[in-house]
Amino acid sequence: MFGSLASLQPRQLAAQVLNFALVLSTAFMLWKGLSVFADSSSPIVVVLSGSMEPAFQRGDLLFLWNRGQETQVGEVVVYNVRGKDIPIVHRVIQRFGGGSTPLQLLTKGDNNAADDTELYARGQSYLDRSQDVIGSVVGYVPFVGYVTILLSEYPWLKTAMLVFMALTVVLQRE
Amino acid sequence: MAEAKISPHSLNDLKNTTDDALANYLRGLQFRQDNTKLDVRLAIGYASVVIAAVTFTADYKLGWEATKGWTAVAVVAYALLNGAFTYWTWGVEKGCVFDGVKEGRKISVASKTNKHEPTYYLTVTDSGSAASARQIQAPFTTWFTADGYFVAKPFQQWLASSVEAIGAADVKNASRAETEEATAPGPEEIETVAQSTGSAQASGTESKSKSSKRSKRKG
Repeated sequence: MFGSLASLQPRQLAAQVLNFALVLSTAFMLWKGLSVFADSSSPIVVVLSGSMEPAFQRGDLLFLWNRGQETQVGEVVVYNVRGKDIPIVHRVIQRFGGGSTPLQLLTKGDNNAADDTELYARGQSYLDRSQDVIGSVVGYVPFVGYVTILLSEYPWLKTAMLVFMALTVVLQRE
Repeated sequence: MAEAKISPHSLNDLKNTTDDALANYLRGLQFRQDNTKLDVRLAIGYASVVIAAVTFTADYKLGWEATKGWTAVAVVAYALLNGAFTYWTWGVEKGCVFDGVKEGRKISVASKTNKHEPTYYLTVTDSGSAASARQIQAPFTTWFTADGYFVAKPFQQWLASSVEAIGAADVKNASRAETEEATAPGPEEIETVAQSTGSAQASGTESKSKSSKRSKRKG
């Protein structure tokens, strides 16, 4: 299998490695481009829990848009709890401020009994729209995100996938 | 040259093996290879990879908010470089297999295949004779055995007899092919070597069974 690589001139080998590097960097730059377009640090998220059923199921892929600062009651937003890196997808049930004062939001999962006050950081009663919210949900694709859940629950899958991709691209000459 | 076996049904493998053999052959004939086209492609490609890597590192170390502006710039720069890369590969390199110089004679060779057609097309630009590009072609069966081994001799003879610059550099292969070619039409714009290689195989280096297999295919 690697025999075909051994017979390559150094420049040709560099060209094959470049092909793989370009696959990775193009994927990354597309992601960053989408981030810039949506003005969100994570424009596509996967639903991890069932707290928004029946609207969203675990494994759904959500598309976010962060350029609408006047979030209304009833919109579904994704936010990070201060100090933690876990995105939470819940619905806005109350809003305070807006206009000249900073907008504050209270959220609750459709499938939860209580609002999110328990989930926020200690001493925090409301979300700050500009600081805590990553974006509001503008579209979704069901089930597709399950791959991401699998990859995070079985980290060796990530390595295996990457190695497989690398071999396929570097050994293939088109 | 290592006699590695490839799949004779894979057009990709056939073309790549032949391209590599052509480059090796010409380098062996003391043509000094000009790597400019490939070097430019590598430069553009790796520049864009570096931009992506720097963006990744900055984002990892400093977070999203701090790097938003620079990320936007980087995305645009990456898109432009990738556009240039694609243009270079498709518009400028265009299937180039070998660019070289020997004793002042410049030669530029580009290869092409068509889907589902086992023919090797070459476009040769020679600074010595006619300024315009010449197109020559031959079926892959000319230099591949039925089970996928590449045989150098018929390939070199075809090249030496079809291309003036190569024939001038490799007189032995050029003249041998021409004397055997007594009944075949002389070198023209488009030329196939089926008849001549049938007789050239009699003195070939491979085993008898292989050459009889090949003359059977010559029909």
